[in-house]
Formats: sequence, structure tokens, C-alpha cells
Amino acid sequence: MKFTDLLDLSINNLKRRRLRTFLTVLGVVIGTASIVVMLSLGIGQSESNKEMIESYGSLTTITVYSNAMYGPQDGSTDPLYLTDDSIESFKHLRHVTGASPILRYTAIAKQGVYEAYLSLQGVSHEYMENIPLSEGRVPPEDAAELSIIYGNQAINDFQNSKTGEGYWSTGETPDVDLMDRTVFIIFDRDKYYSQGSTDADGNIIPSPKKYIVPTAGIVDGGETGYGNYSYGAYCDIELLKTKLKSIFKKGTIPGQPTNSKGKPLGYFVYDSAEVYVDDMDHVSEVQEAINSMGYQASSNMEWLEQSQDSMRMQQAVLGGIGAVSLFVAAIGIANTMMMSIYERTKEIGVMKVLGCDMDNIRDMFLIESGFIGLMGGLVGIVLSLTISKVINVLYLRSNAAMYAVSTGDISRIPMWLLLLALIFAVLVGMLAGLFPALRAMRLSPLTAIRNE
Amino acid sequence: MDADTRTKSNRKPIISVRDLYKIYRVGDNRVHALDGVSFDIYKGEFVAIVGASGSGKSTLLNMLAGLEPPTKGEISIAGKRIDRLSESQLVAFRRTNVGFIFQSYNLLSTMNAEENVAMPLMFRGVRRSERLAKARKLMKLVGVLDQAEHMPNQMSGGQQQRVGIARALVSDPRIIFADEPTGNLDSRTSMDVLRLMQRLVREEKQTLVMVTHDDSIASYADKRIRISDGKIISMEENDGER
Repeated sequence: MKFTDLLDLSINNLKRRRLRTFLTVLGVVIGTASIVVMLSLGIGQSESNKEMIESYGSLTTITVYSNAMYGPQDGSTDPLYLTDDSIESFKHLRHVTGASPILRYTAIAKQGVYEAYLSLQGVSHEYMENIPLSEGRVPPEDAAELSIIYGNQAINDFQNSKTGEGYWSTGETPDVDLMDRTVFIIFDRDKYYSQGSTDADGNIIPSPKKYIVPTAGIVDGGETGYGNYSYGAYCDIELLKTKLKSIFKKGTIPGQPTNSKGKPLGYFVYDSAEVYVDDMDHVSEVQEAINSMGYQASSNMEWLEQSQDSMRMQQAVLGGIGAVSLFVAAIGIANTMMMSIYERTKEIGVMKVLGCDMDNIRDMFLIESGFIGLMGGLVGIVLSLTISKVINVLYLRSNAAMYAVSTGDISRIPMWLLLLALIFAVLVGMLAGLFPALRAMRLSPLTAIRNE
Repeated sequence: MDADTRTKSNRKPIISVRDLYKIYRVGDNRVHALDGVSFDIYKGEFVAIVGASGSGKSTLLNMLAGLEPPTKGEISIAGKRIDRLSESQLVAFRRTNVGFIFQSYNLLSTMNAEENVAMPLMFRGVRRSERLAKARKLMKLVGVLDQAEHMPNQMSGGQQQRVGIARALVSDPRIIFADEPTGNLDSRTSMDVLRLMQRLVREEKQTLVMVTHDDSIASYADKRIRISDGKIISMEENDGER
């Protein structure tokens, strides 16, 4: 029997019982739409979560710390510092495209009566180039003079040195202009706080030298925006090292470790380093490699993976809730098909007497139930797209009123979900129709002879 | 005597039945619906199986048409043993060898007359245009061409049965079985239908096996197999006088 003839027969049979077909299809529509919408919420949640984490920094960047900077050292072995050598060894790991050290140094910034602890981070040129700026520009790679990029929130760290009041106590932004007015940087904090008093030899400690360090730029984000770089202050690491060496000469630079005799090491030890990986999929592999070298590596990817794990659980629950209604729809299909077989017992018998293959009879019923699934799936997809749109518009409205920020759509339906839902609906239809179809196939042809 | 019956002893029978038994179990009792039946039917014969209700005549027809298996015995049709075929083999056998006329016509209500006639060809995978052309040819033969596009519920019983006969003929079967073909028709229409069947046997060289409980209807056949309590009690042949 030709497939087109089978299809014709099946569709004719569905047309014959329009209302019943419609009601059965309606069940599949609701089932499909509820699965798709539920999953779209889960997908929306996990995608916006991913976007949020990505906004805190690249997913392919690993941050490396060394325990040696903090933990107690037994002195028997050299502590595992992050040095230029270790940076070099990271660069040789597989999938690593680059590594750059970060040197933290806390200095004091002063402008007029205002002063602030400045958590200065010496970073590579590439690092600075990734910082989004609202004003100014990243200092060129071959710059000879130290200049600083301030975070957009850095201004709020300034306190009035006379009253001790600042943004965090008054809520008012200090009268500081980092861009247009001169900022003085004091690198020698110890001297600054002990100036005027006498040292062990009875000499009066002079005030430390103040340096004018130009501002290269301000991080994008305005006064309220919060981002990865909002609170920091960034400068070129090489220029910072040169500056610190010239200030402290042979002495110990504050924050740098010393050897067992209390003497400076003669090289810089970094607080942390950033390692760049070629692809998201390789991040955990590289991270493990670095951990096994004895360092502490962490990445946003790790965070993402953890949150994705728990999201997957939520998605499964959401999908399961949706699946229940499709399951009910499947029972509806099975019921409709059984009814149809009872009604058509004689007809099936006649077809068998006239030589219709048993397989054809089975296929005819499978096509019917599959077709119910297909129609329900198609309409269900359209319905779920509409519902998803409505959810997003409503969510955006209530969200816009509350936070004034867009967090993106909470219901997202990717193409693959639509396709999968359609295939699933057809499969469920055919599966629900399988038992009735087999039953029809096995009906005795004698039913055709019987006369009621 | 016509040419066919004169030479039949020299030819092989188209249907050959030997020691056929059909035993149903009803509770603890065994009911012998057929109790050792043997006969031959030759090509071009119009045979009536006659018997009262419960005589086993319908059971016999069902087994000849391969609709239910015998308990014991042999049925050969065109030299092929059909008592050993599986259900799907029987379907295939019917599709190529058997036409069937039902008491209650059994036209599919969703199809019009010509589609109903063409249905057995659809099961064979014949193209639609081809099978509808064949259907119309046979509808002309049985005189219902003007009904081609009518639905079954728009036709009279006689018209429906003629459509049913055209459907039985459409696949050029070796044998046509008819189960009380006039059971739902009035006597005038019954006569028309029986004349038509006689004509088809004579002009189209068809073999037709009909089951009936009515002697007057059976008298239209060339040969009558009378059956009672599962046994053949007599076989009569017309001597060409019809």
C-alpha cells in the first residue's frame, strides 16, 4: 500500500470525527506548551545567570593566588611564591593563551583635604585594555610615566581627613575630581603615619615624599554602577615596580615577603595572576593543572558550573511538571484511538478480508495518532511562543518598575527546543497510539462477517 | 451442458476440500461445526452452500476464504494449501486470489462508490488514477456507473450490493465468495443481483461460492452443496436449465 494512500485514509478518519480530534489535539497543545514554557523558564534562568557571571569577568580567565603570601611558613622550604618564573610556567601549560601577574600595593591618595587608601593594582597592558573606560584612555604600552585608571566607585573611598567623614557615613559623594585636579600619591604609608614622631634613634621622622601621578582614565559605570573594576585602581605593573624600587631602594617594600633573615628577596612576589585560557571547555582542566602545581586557582567558570548544576536540577523539575500534562494528553490520545478502534472494528475487519496488510492497518493507526501529536505539537509551539512573549513583557514591566535595570528575558525558547518539542509530541502521539494500533492489527477479519 | 461442465472431470479443481473439521470449545462441550467435509469446486462454477442457521455453512465459507483456520483437514485453492498459512500470509493470499461479497455490503462510509470499488487495488499499491479507471470499468459492468461519486448512504441497498460486487471483481480474483449476498435485499432486488452474479460467472468466467439458507436463492447456482450439522447431506447439480 502506498504511503500517500495510508496518509489519506488516516487524515480522512481524523476528519470524520472532528470534535473528538480537536479535543484530543487540544490536550497535546496544552501538554506541549506547558513543557516548552516550563523549560524556557529554566533556560532563561540559566542563560541570564551565565550572562551575569560573564559580566563579572571573562569566563576563560583563571585567577591564581599563592598561599605563601598569607599562611604561616615553616621556613624549611622556600614558600611557593608567585613570581615571574611561575608566570612563565603557566604560559607553557596547554590551552593557556597568556598569563599576567597582578601586584597589589596599598598607597594613600590625597586631593586637598580628602584622602583615601588606594588599593593599587599593577597589571599588564592587556589587562588594562580590557577595562571599559568612561573617560580618558588606557596608557600606551611604552609609557614612561606611571598613570592610574580609577574605578568609578573609587571616589567614594575618599574621606575628609579633618572630620573623618566620607561617603559611607554621610552618603554624599566627596568633592574630589580625579580626572581634572591633581591627585597626590604617597607610597610610604609607614612614614606618613609616623611623621613628626621620633624613631628609635631619636631622630624626627620626616614626612614622606608625595608624588603627582596623573589619572589615565575612569572606569565606565557612572556613580552608581557596579562592575568588576568599580572599586580598584589600576596601573602598569612594570612602571609600578620601577617606582617602588626607586622609592624604597634596598629596603623592604611594604607587603613584600622577606627571607628568613628578614632581608628583602631581591625580586617581586605577586599577589595573584591571571591566566587566560583559549576555550571555556578547557578552563577546569587548566585550573586543575595550576592547583596541582601548589597554587590556588579559581575562575568564574567554576562558579558557573556550580550554579549550572543546581539550575539543571531546577530545569528537570520544571520540565517534569510540564511533562505531566503531556502525559495526560498521551492518555487522551490512547483513549481516542481505542474508541476509534471500537467504532471501526467492522471497517477494519472488512479491510482485512479485502486483503489489507496487517502492517498497513497498524501504520494507519500510528499515522493517525502521530498526526494528532504533530498538530498538537505545532499549535503547542505557537502557543508557547506567545505565552513566552507575554511572560517576558510582564516581567520586564514589573522589573523595570522595581530595579530600573533590564536583566533580559526570563523565558527563552531556543530553536532546538521547538524542534525537540515537535519531535517529542509526534513520538508521544505514536507511542500512545502503539497499543491501540497493535490491537487493531490483531482484530479478527471475522468481525466483518458478523451481522448485528 | 455447456463446455465447462462437460470437460470438468479432466481438469484440476480450483478448490479442493478434504476431511475438514472445525471444532469449537464451548465451556466443557465440544461443538463440531464442521464434521469431516470433502468436496471439489471447479473453475467457472457458481456453487451455493445451503443450510439452516447453525448448520456450519458460514464456518465453511470462512475457512475457504482463509478467515479462520480449520481444526483439521486440507483446503487447497488453485493447488495451494491454505490451511497452513499464517495470518499475514492469508491476508496476502486473499489480496491476490479472493473477492468477497458481504451480506450488509460493508462499504466504507467515508469513501464514495468508486473509491470503495477501487479499495482492494489500493491495498495492492496500484496508483489512484489507474485503480479508479478499473473501478469505473467494473461499475459499468454491474450497472452502477451513474453512482460512481455517491457516498454509500446515498444509495439504495441494491445499488450498494452492486457496488460491493464490483469491489469483489476489481482485483481479478480467482474465486469470489458471497455471504448471504441478498440477505438484506427485497425479493425483486435479490433476483436482479442473483441474475447479475449468474451473468458474471458465465460471461466473465468467474468462480463464485455463495452461502445461503434459502433454497430458492440457491436454485440460481449451478451446483448446491447442502449441509446440516456440519456434514454434507447432498450435492445437486443443475443440468444446464436455469
